[in-house]
Amino acid sequence: MNETAQHTAGPVFFTRTLAGGAMGLVGMGLVFFFIALSGTQSDRAWQAYLISFLFWSSVAQGGLLFSAVMHITRARWGRSLAGAAEALAGFFPVSFVLFFILFLGHHHLFPWAHMELGEKAGWLNTKSVFIRDTAGLFILYGLGTGYLFHSWAFRLNRHAERGRLKTLFNRLWSGRPVDPDRFRGRTTLFAVLYVIAYALVLSLIAYDLVMALDPHWYSTLFGAYHFVKAFYMALGVLIILASLLHMNPAVPFALRPSQFHDLGKLFFAFCLVWADFFYCQLVVIWYGNISEETAYVIQRTLAAPWRPLAWFVFTVAFVIPFLILLNRRIKSSPKWMSLLSAFVLLGLWLEHTLLIGPALNPHARSLPLGILDGFIFIGFMGLMILATASVFHVFPELAETRIPEGP
Amino acid sequence: MSEDPQHHTFDTIDDSVLATLAPASPSYWMTVGLLACGILIGAGCWAYQIAEGIGVAGMNNPVAWGTYLINFVFWVGIAHSGTLISAILHLMRASWRNPIARAAETMTVFAVCVAGLFPFIHLGRVWMVYYMLPVPNQRNLWQNFQSPLMFDVVAISTYLIVSSLFWYTGMLPDLAVVRDRSNGRKKKIFTWLSLGWTGAHEQWRHYTRAYLFFAALATPLVISVHSVVSWDFALGVVPGWHTTIFAPYFVAGAIHSGLAMVLTLMIPLRKIFCYERIITIGVLENVAKTIIFTGLIVAFAYGTEFFIAWYSQNPVEMEVFRYRPTGHYAAGFWIMVVCNTLVPLVFFFQRARRSLPILFSVSILVNVGMWFERFVIIVTSVSRDFIPHAWGRYAPTWVEFGIMLGSFSLFFFLFVLFVKHLPSVSMTEMKEMLGQGGGHGQ
Amino acid sequence: MANDRTILGIFSDESKAVSALSALQKTPWSVRSVHSPVPSRRIAGALSGKPSRVGYFTLAGGIIGFFTGFALAAYTAVQWHLVVGGKPVVALIPFFIVGFEFTILFAVFGNVAGLIHQMKLPDYKALAHHDGRCSGSAFGVTVVCPAADEALLLRFFQEKGAETRILS
Repeated sequence: MNETAQHTAGPVFFTRTLAGGAMGLVGMGLVFFFIALSGTQSDRAWQAYLISFLFWSSVAQGGLLFSAVMHITRARWGRSLAGAAEALAGFFPVSFVLFFILFLGHHHLFPWAHMELGEKAGWLNTKSVFIRDTAGLFILYGLGTGYLFHSWAFRLNRHAERGRLKTLFNRLWSGRPVDPDRFRGRTTLFAVLYVIAYALVLSLIAYDLVMALDPHWYSTLFGAYHFVKAFYMALGVLIILASLLHMNPAVPFALRPSQFHDLGKLFFAFCLVWADFFYCQLVVIWYGNISEETAYVIQRTLAAPWRPLAWFVFTVAFVIPFLILLNRRIKSSPKWMSLLSAFVLLGLWLEHTLLIGPALNPHARSLPLGILDGFIFIGFMGLMILATASVFHVFPELAETRIPEGP
Repeated sequence: MSEDPQHHTFDTIDDSVLATLAPASPSYWMTVGLLACGILIGAGCWAYQIAEGIGVAGMNNPVAWGTYLINFVFWVGIAHSGTLISAILHLMRASWRNPIARAAETMTVFAVCVAGLFPFIHLGRVWMVYYMLPVPNQRNLWQNFQSPLMFDVVAISTYLIVSSLFWYTGMLPDLAVVRDRSNGRKKKIFTWLSLGWTGAHEQWRHYTRAYLFFAALATPLVISVHSVVSWDFALGVVPGWHTTIFAPYFVAGAIHSGLAMVLTLMIPLRKIFCYERIITIGVLENVAKTIIFTGLIVAFAYGTEFFIAWYSQNPVEMEVFRYRPTGHYAAGFWIMVVCNTLVPLVFFFQRARRSLPILFSVSILVNVGMWFERFVIIVTSVSRDFIPHAWGRYAPTWVEFGIMLGSFSLFFFLFVLFVKHLPSVSMTEMKEMLGQGGGHGQ
Repeated sequence: MANDRTILGIFSDESKAVSALSALQKTPWSVRSVHSPVPSRRIAGALSGKPSRVGYFTLAGGIIGFFTGFALAAYTAVQWHLVVGGKPVVALIPFFIVGFEFTILFAVFGNVAGLIHQMKLPDYKALAHHDGRCSGSAFGVTVVCPAADEALLLRFFQEKGAETRILS
């Protein structure tokens, strides 16, 4: 149980600049979104919305996965980072609401609604997609919350009062006698269930919201590719978050260089896993040379206007991090790792565009990518920042690490 | 970890392991003899096949790949888990692997050896292997490096060489221990084998670095080798084979079967050699937990394949996935599903994870299930592909069963010889567990 | 030098050896080597040592391997310029696999070559001075001192709790 009670007076995480800045980003995103919606670019607006929704939800889902996996494997090195990773899960309720809003744009987002699908229409119709994806997200986020509820019973200082949510949690925890062993067992159970749900729900979301945009194309690895990519992105954001907390003197969060090194190694590993899953799909489709399958890949990697984007994504999200992360010293430096992660995240945002864009703009002459998409993306980022900062504000113990001993 | 080896000292570890290298009992040599008979049966069947032709095996039109490929994939799969334990868990600093790392790595080397025989066997006319090797020749004939079969040649040879080097390098400090505690001819042999290792700090400095690189290189190798093996199937257009999920699915399945084989080997080993305090029940429990994980991945892959087969609305694809659970080979299919995905779920209960009979039975069932998985994938897809007029059945012949018996005998023969002549537990890594947390300098 | 003594002090556990090593740093005697049954971070810390250079051999091997693999596949394909299976003659996507496997293979060769080169094994002559207990459970510290200091060094070792052996 955490015993530290007193923290610096006043909000450390939710400083006025942070809140103001984040809300500014959200505001700008909203402005651009509505301008585009009311104008001729409503398709683009919804496309950008979908891409950003998928991106930031993946980050949140992957962030909690990090904590769950660290718990299940009882890995010691990840314990200090687990708190920061769990804060990313603060985006879950936001993501859930955003998902409902996503369906307001279903005319723009689901090309299969206007296509002849045959038997597949039983699976791909707006109502089914909405119901099952809502259910999936509900289950996933519910299990995640269950995991956090049990895990935080030990981590948080129950006696510090900080707002309504914390009071609610306190009441729930005090309501029944907390048997440490049973709670620990339940934490592990929820963690395992969350991991299983992560694989299933993220695959489902990938099949329904990304793969189905080209309803006659399919790839069995697509679901797994999506959830592996989500974890890769989450690690990138976690590196940036951990570096920010570490470099902020007002926060009692300090990591040893070896912990940054470990996080960097994990990031490197998932860079390879993501690239491997991409290659697995590419080699099978390329080699089989079946036109039903290759059309999707050709459109995205060989045809204009998407070809340069494909090479850019490959370089930024794989080649550059691969070469840089071979070096041992870089992995231990928070500053350089944050820069590299930001770069990689940019590449992965563009990767989402590469997958979704051609399906929603089949006859594009030029890349449907511009300031509009960028601002909407940043607007979502503002929401993420607000969500994460709120979590730290209510549960500041998550941003604490023990004083390091050893290298 | 419930039992920690804190009650060990460096000397007790050495004594326990070195005691296993003492001269063997008659029952040991009888076991070796029995296994040698199995090998001879297999060799006899193979010789018969070389003399009479590949037709004595059951492969024909349309099922041209049968037990030889099944066994090939099966043994390569088993090999992967050994590298997972010795290399990947080393990178993750999971010290629970230390007691079993040596035996697991040995399992890898021998499994790859056995696996590597099967492409030869499958050639029928084994001398034709010459044409698969890039040897410069006057006719300027070269292999088609675009073929997945050539990828196999490269990948399996690489895996065999790398695993052997990794295995030997890992054993160096232990070979020195045996050298220092033995006399006479044994001392001479181990002196030569241990290359003059003295444990000087300079040697350790380079050694720990090189071992880390070995582990870091073996990890992508494991994933790539079984991906390459899976692409033997996935790169063709055969329905049920041509699917993108094969590479990670096969890797997960390989580790699943390999972990089960680790249990199958370790449980009798620890009983016979009195290793209970070294290979503790906690270690076996961790293997069991990992089996749950790999079993879930395999289950996910099965589910995804069925879902996408329906989603694709491709009549040929849908037929293959209807045929598998309900067709002529349905028994194999259901054995596969039950043994691979349902049986390991029992390990969610701690009592099952710590019960030796359950651990052992589950390990056997998982291996049976994984063998049948390769059977289902290979045979059902090829027996019913595009043209109904070309559909046909397959059954292995006695030659194939004999060779299969020979392969299992060869594997266990090599392993049984190993455990009595070389240290089957890494004394060095066990000692490292006493001091710090990791193995070999982590 | 001709009148140097090489003395081996055998400690029964790591902490005694480490404290002896730190004490030895204040003496004019030089530590020739420390033998241990396990790699010890504390001992490595007590001795000055640069990080091992084996990695450069590995990296070199890997780079050579990548290009060798690709080159082998491409060269052999170009000998006949046959379009097989509708694929281009020099096809990057499948040749990448060959390149990748060769990368690992040659990186491992580099690793082994680097290890042999840096460790200077096999070296059977060093076994003459090797005490078998150092591979079992003891930690041996070999110190070189001038002949005149022999008694001092022996007493130093005995104070630190070590058994001694004069090697030369």
